[in-house]
Amino acid sequence: MKIKRSYSDRVLKTIAYSFMGLFAIICLYPLILTLSVSLSSEREVALQGYSIFPQGFSFNTYIYIFAHSGMKILKSYGLTIFVTVVGTLGALLITTMISYAISIKALRYRNMIAFICNFTIIFSAGLIPWYIMCVRYYNLRNSVFALIIPSIFSVWNMFLLRTYFSHIPQSLYEAAKIDGANYFEMYYKIALPLCKTGILTVGLMYALQYWNDWWNALMFINDKKLFTLQFYLYNILSNVNAISSGVVPSGAAANITLPAETVKMAVTVITIGPIIFLYPFVQKFFINGIMTGAVKE
Amino acid sequence: MRVIRDSIRKKSGFMKELKQHRILYLMCLPALIVLILFCYIPFTGIWMAFTDFNVVDGIFGSKFVGFDNFTYFFNGNSTAWRVTFNTLIINLFCILFGLIVPISIAIFFNEMKGKLFKKITQSAMFFPYFLSWVVVGAIIYGFFATDVGLVNRVRETLGYEPISWYASPQYWKGIIIFANVWKWSGYNSIIYMAAMSSFDVSLFEAAEIDGANKLQRICYLTLPMLKSTAVVLVLLSVGRIFYGDFGMIYGIVGNNPSLSDAVSVIDTYVYSSMKTLGFSYSTAIGLYQSIMGLILVTLANKFVKKINDGEGLF
Repeated sequence: MKIKRSYSDRVLKTIAYSFMGLFAIICLYPLILTLSVSLSSEREVALQGYSIFPQGFSFNTYIYIFAHSGMKILKSYGLTIFVTVVGTLGALLITTMISYAISIKALRYRNMIAFICNFTIIFSAGLIPWYIMCVRYYNLRNSVFALIIPSIFSVWNMFLLRTYFSHIPQSLYEAAKIDGANYFEMYYKIALPLCKTGILTVGLMYALQYWNDWWNALMFINDKKLFTLQFYLYNILSNVNAISSGVVPSGAAANITLPAETVKMAVTVITIGPIIFLYPFVQKFFINGIMTGAVKE
Repeated sequence: MRVIRDSIRKKSGFMKELKQHRILYLMCLPALIVLILFCYIPFTGIWMAFTDFNVVDGIFGSKFVGFDNFTYFFNGNSTAWRVTFNTLIINLFCILFGLIVPISIAIFFNEMKGKLFKKITQSAMFFPYFLSWVVVGAIIYGFFATDVGLVNRVRETLGYEPISWYASPQYWKGIIIFANVWKWSGYNSIIYMAAMSSFDVSLFEAAEIDGANKLQRICYLTLPMLKSTAVVLVLLSVGRIFYGDFGMIYGIVGNNPSLSDAVSVIDTYVYSSMKTLGFSYSTAIGLYQSIMGLILVTLANKFVKKINDGEGLF
């Protein structure tokens, strides 16, 4: 009996290890492929196709990109960083303020405010009315604000942060009140320092959202000067896509210069570059933050 | 008389409350302004769905046409049913695999011992969550490009004909569903791990002493205990089943015309018909989606409340 039991346990263990190993490989393999193609020489890739090991290892593609469209990419990089930093800071300020305010039980209309926020998740006017308002009345077309303002407040992140703020005992605020502090002082002297993990998690989520955003650019930006990195990559890919489908007539296709395979992958690597470097540091915070936020009370 | 006095007192109570917590209400203001600008004011634009909108006359000056836009969408052609079907089928499979794979990961993760192996696998699985759909699209291109893509190269070495993937619509629902599972599984498994970390260890020890093997412990303890988390997550996604992921579809397929029949969801159809069929028509489709969404979310929330001791999404 005992032998049988340990046998089934061992089978389970083998399955667990192989499943996890396999899935981890599936997750990493495409990235290594991308990296390796970007480090290959163009001729080899055209001849042999994509491969997991760099063929004819060289940095030529990167040198080529920065020599030919270096300013364009650097500017796009700068813009993306600007949007990410300003957007994240602004979003954090707005989100922490409202989630702190409605975490205070003395606030009589806090449930009403929460409902006003909630309702936007449940029902929305849809894309077109939103787009028309943004373009006709808020003048967001081809403006750098279009990349920041529309996604500066996420109701989901507010609820995540409210969970953190509501763990602060209300008695702390009472004590501070007796000492003569007003609510704003309590916000930055008590609430913010006590919720560092939550703020960091939400901040990372906002930063990731801004870095990865190309939707706002797709909606509002035609001006090449305002292309973010992701949108730049999107444009390269959608040209390639349209031609591979075979629907675009060859005459029209001839006018679009296709970037080389290695260039495409190098731009991809450039786009995810900062994430790869930051990933080892932020991953742990992220996992802890999500775990704490997911377990209620 | 008394009613009037009450209402006066109520009103002064409202003003008093605003004054007393003035700072707190001011702190809510920026967020509320963003919501009003980008969520509440656009509600007025819903009127466009019932008009024949033109730019000169504006939203309220354009000709009223009643439900014509809706009739055209549902009767005019098969598009309505096709995009609805695509949205539902892609979401259904994403929900199904988005349930199975993350739970398996969470359970298997618990069964593993080596700390380093655990760390490496978790880091690897969580990484796709950090990539944008455009980057995922680029990666998919690396696999399925006709001339240089990895898949066709492998097919050639094995002696099969290469497939022109980007002109063959029948494969793309599968590819998109796979990409979705690939991107989200690591993230979602963390939510299940969080739930599992709160389980009572003594239960599992008792079961072990009673002679239950690991498989039995998983089937009779872990899975039933994960059920409520899983049901809540599934219901929340079912509530959003009418919403396609625009970024996912457009990031992977772009505006490739030969694939769009197979993969276009309501969201991408609204976007593309905005350019060709006009604002009013696409507003009407958007409204159809929002209303279906509203109904489903409300129903889902009702069930979540039932399971979750009265605590729902709203």
